[in-house]
Amino acid sequence: MRNRQTLAIGFAVVLAADMFARSTWAQAPTTADKINPPVANCNMTKDFVVISNPSDPAHQTFQSQPVTAALLKSGQPCHQVADNKSGLFGDNGLANLQHGFDFYSWLTFVALNSPADGKIIGKGLRPGGDAQTMWESLKNYRPLADVMLADGSKPTWGTRNVPPPCKKLDGPGKIVLQVGEASWNQPFKTGPLIDQDSNYALFDILMNKPMFDFIVQNGLYSKQGQERFDNDIIFPSGENPKGATPGKMGAVMVKVSWRILDAAKDKDLMSKFHTADALVFFPGPPATKAGPACVEKKLGLIGFHVGHKTLFAPQWVWTSFEHVNNVPTEADVAAGTLLDRYSFFDKNCKDCSRNVTPPDPWDPPTSLKFHSEHRSQVVRTKILPGPVVSEVQDLNRDFRAVLKGTVWENYELLTTQWPSDHASKTDCNGAPAPTYMANTTLETYSQGRVPLASSSCMSCHGNATTQHVPATPSDFTFILEKAQCENGKCGPPAAGKQSAKSNCGFAVTAPR
Amino acid sequence: MIDFTRRKVLGVAGGTVVGEVSPTGTIERAAADDASDLNLFVKISAALTGIGEKRLAPDVDPIQVKHDYFNQAKSDPGFEPLMQIARAAPDANSAAEKIMNNADPQIKFLGRSIILAWYLGVWYEPTVLAQVPAPFPVNPMKVVSPVAYTQGWVWRVAQAHPMGYSEQRFGYWSDEPLSLDDFIKNPVKP
Repeated sequence: MRNRQTLAIGFAVVLAADMFARSTWAQAPTTADKINPPVANCNMTKDFVVISNPSDPAHQTFQSQPVTAALLKSGQPCHQVADNKSGLFGDNGLANLQHGFDFYSWLTFVALNSPADGKIIGKGLRPGGDAQTMWESLKNYRPLADVMLADGSKPTWGTRNVPPPCKKLDGPGKIVLQVGEASWNQPFKTGPLIDQDSNYALFDILMNKPMFDFIVQNGLYSKQGQERFDNDIIFPSGENPKGATPGKMGAVMVKVSWRILDAAKDKDLMSKFHTADALVFFPGPPATKAGPACVEKKLGLIGFHVGHKTLFAPQWVWTSFEHVNNVPTEADVAAGTLLDRYSFFDKNCKDCSRNVTPPDPWDPPTSLKFHSEHRSQVVRTKILPGPVVSEVQDLNRDFRAVLKGTVWENYELLTTQWPSDHASKTDCNGAPAPTYMANTTLETYSQGRVPLASSSCMSCHGNATTQHVPATPSDFTFILEKAQCENGKCGPPAAGKQSAKSNCGFAVTAPR
Repeated sequence: MIDFTRRKVLGVAGGTVVGEVSPTGTIERAAADDASDLNLFVKISAALTGIGEKRLAPDVDPIQVKHDYFNQAKSDPGFEPLMQIARAAPDANSAAEKIMNNADPQIKFLGRSIILAWYLGVWYEPTVLAQVPAPFPVNPMKVVSPVAYTQGWVWRVAQAHPMGYSEQRFGYWSDEPLSLDDFIKNPVKP
């Protein structure tokens, strides 16, 4: 097999001339499609190239897409190009598709973490080539707190909201991170994550413009607006250009996790993390026990989670990255192959209970220091099938190699969760593949393989609802649950509509 | 860059349970034999349960419950004789016929255990099923795995779902159930 493959490559004609293919639509968005406008540069690079032997045209072999520096400027995928059921892994459709989705995830990570000023990732002016990223620029993404406003009013794109207590600390390039329960408590209220320096880990959720516009144009930014909305919630989908139809990006949401870095004590870490200067805003009761107050913190990125709704993934595609120094795996611990320092694991603490929630109380003070001696002792539980781990490790190795010398070489893909049967009528979650996936900074306490109890992006988000009475499905996002009452006043709920009757509630796209 | 070797393909094809494959040729061959037996086991299971092979084990199958049942059945002393019948039979239906009407209770009741596993996600020991009169409750028995609990076909045949686990979207309980065909007959994509 190896000889035959080598021979084939020797005579190779690379058919995928569109190696870094990008669509080139230039027409202006129409008024009819303001929410999900045409996109000029969908990245349609495939995860493999097809090699044919001129002396035997019928015989094709597959080779993984070379991961070169050119990929670092290839743009954001509008849609996964993962439709080959035979390929790198023979006729193992599950493995081939998984690899396609994982490749898509790396392209997405690179595109979203490229500098907001248009430079190539890793070419920023800060240590390790760091820079403000595309998703941190308010031109491209908005944090949840800027969309679901405290008074339920209509948000506007492009307006930078700096709360009064933060104004005196404000400066160029600073981000505002508003504290609420979702910014420190893990899903299902399983508790905060505390680093080895006793600081709280912080979380934030952001969305792109198509998602923002869908919410605004349908009035979903307030509880009353959701009551008035009488359709199924169907966020716009990303799709690649096809014929005369241009590509579209669709709704994208990002959830990030941060650890607090100390400018002096953690000086050696600054070139290992993507960092941000943050104004951490405590609105005060009822949103936070502490405050109103604002504190300035240097944050280091430790987790990066993307949900992207696409044409063949009405359950969205879920990408999850982590910093490589977050935690060891179970295998690392068993073998004693541990790094000197992790953000959420102390190798010298033999008696520390692993993956346990901290003691009460959980609400963070404005110092963002935990009240007791508890430090999270987190270990990555083996959840993913061994072959998926192996395939992702190969991709991580290749992408981290081309990012070497930058802060971004310190990030790794966990994997991508995608619907293996997106059009199923009986499984509205689309038979997620892999079945379980957990980011140790975002789903720390729900790692495992127990149905419903363990972390699965799609199975969990499939339960998300609006604040309509009775509740209606909200298309795999919990963002709508954060809407507030208009002017702080909630009247009695409007006459309730019944939940939709259209099977899983989304327009079913024909099978690939 | 992906190293496209037989070893790797076998490893990936093994899915969640076969997992990592040893570099030794012996274990490679064993894995290949195992994969072949697994495929045959699914074919026989389809004939025994009356549920389509691609429904029991879709081509693109992240759940892979077939491994759980296969490994459970493999631990029974009647497994090899049962597989010999399956290998020798001209097709899965005639193999199922021979298994279910076999004079050897070890084989006959293993066939019943396999049916019950697919439908209920529970393993009933063939020796217990063979007892006359049949004991009630049938013990020992065990839920094969957490996955098996949610994947029992009895729920789909009943157009329902196991307690505490539904794949329908929020509010499904106020809708009419989907048709039986939706649950068990529609061909599975892709």
